[in-house]
Amino acid sequence: MNVGLTTSPENGSSADAEAALSVRDLNFYYGNHHALHDIMLDYPARQVTAMIGPSGCGKSTLLRVFNRMYDLYPGQRATGEVIFDGMNILERTVSLDILRARIGMVFQKPTPFPMSIYDNIAFGVRLHERLSKSDMDERVQDVLTRVALWNEVRDRLRAPASGLSGGQQQRLCIARSIATRPEVLLLDEPTSALDPISTARIEELLDELKEEFTIAIVTHNMQQAARCADRVAFFYMGRLIEVDTADRIFTNPRQKQTQDYITGRFG
Amino acid sequence: MSLDRSHIVKSYEQELDLLRTMMAQMGRIVESQVGLALDAIAEHDEAAADEAARRDPEVDELEREVEGLVIRLLALRSPMGPDLREIVAALKITGDLERIGDYAASIARRAMKVVDEGEKISLSGLRSMGRLVRENLQRTVSAMIAHDPSQATEVWHADQGVDEHYLTLFRELVTYMMEDPRNIRSCTELLFIAKNLERIGDHTTNIAERVFYAATGDNLPALRPRGGARKSVAKDVKKS
Repeated sequence: MNVGLTTSPENGSSADAEAALSVRDLNFYYGNHHALHDIMLDYPARQVTAMIGPSGCGKSTLLRVFNRMYDLYPGQRATGEVIFDGMNILERTVSLDILRARIGMVFQKPTPFPMSIYDNIAFGVRLHERLSKSDMDERVQDVLTRVALWNEVRDRLRAPASGLSGGQQQRLCIARSIATRPEVLLLDEPTSALDPISTARIEELLDELKEEFTIAIVTHNMQQAARCADRVAFFYMGRLIEVDTADRIFTNPRQKQTQDYITGRFG
Repeated sequence: MSLDRSHIVKSYEQELDLLRTMMAQMGRIVESQVGLALDAIAEHDEAAADEAARRDPEVDELEREVEGLVIRLLALRSPMGPDLREIVAALKITGDLERIGDYAASIARRAMKVVDEGEKISLSGLRSMGRLVRENLQRTVSAMIAHDPSQATEVWHADQGVDEHYLTLFRELVTYMMEDPRNIRSCTELLFIAKNLERIGDHTTNIAERVFYAATGDNLPALRPRGGARKSVAKDVKKS
């Protein structure tokens, strides 16, 4: 399975870890704009892979490819392959409902549904599973406990989610994403709107969640990538410049462009 | 990979430059201390001996300032990549330089005790060891200032010569002491001086290793050129 960028030793291969997502020769276009060029990248299972790079480098575009968000917009298209559980998820035949249940996504701004805390979680689960009331209660409690929100909201599960703080809302969104039991969790700058304590809680949560999920996180905060990620991929102008362990990327990257970026010398 | 661009944040770049200036200054002072200490041995130059010792507090003060600046840079700038390596290396190098300064001061003090009564004893071995140690230190400080890993590697290998000198001197001085017990006092001082020079060589090797790491991100091989001589000396003592 391992070919290309992530397998050559110079690129700090994690060939020992099985890849949950494998990107192969991926090109992406916004109409005439060629946004991603020949991306080859593995996301090792049950590890956190951070994507960093300046604005417009394509990192968020790549994240959005993974759950076929671009399908909503005519003129946007992807070529190449993204292999997930043996199938190429770019194929038209792939069911988007099922894909999005298996690959969850959390956005920059917390996006709770305009409904109760309980229903925010139950809503997605009901689309894919038929659970009894007690099973659903159990699922809600389980995921809220795992995002360390249960003790804060157990007495107001029927209250609107909009009454929660920003950090709580974001943890609720993560709970909602994992309630459908996905294999991969995509996070697009999940803490950029949060204060440092809420950020630390989310980072701690990622550390726990990676026991079970494969996590891909886009972040502008390099310290965050350094703290949370096992592997870091640096993108620049739609190309993957370098991918390696976080340790390597932040102490001794191989590519000059990566070095300039992480040290703050980017022109 | 060289950092040919400046940091986007100018004050960060200025702090890095300040760190480099302080390290260079410390290196030059310690170099001069070693030079003065060697003059004190070679010329029985009391003024040089005093000057070597007098500069010690300056080095200590610089060490404290470097430590303060490093902590500040780590806390406020979150350095990454080559910046991080350079800053951490500076913290360690400053400790090595401070030790070298101490050894130089100690050599200068002992030199004043030796030469009076030790005229029969040849100092040529000690002088050439001193020259090599001094030259290695100068080259290492230059490598540090120039961020030059290849020069650092050369000096790192050259420390082997210092160890060999020490071994030869040790034998020589033991012979002097066996020949005439009246030599023992001077020879003991000279042995301490030789040992101090050998230690300066080791700290110089440490600095070369850190310069190499800061510049390349890789470590020189774990097997260091130093240490071998010490073992052989121990064996030598047992034999004699």
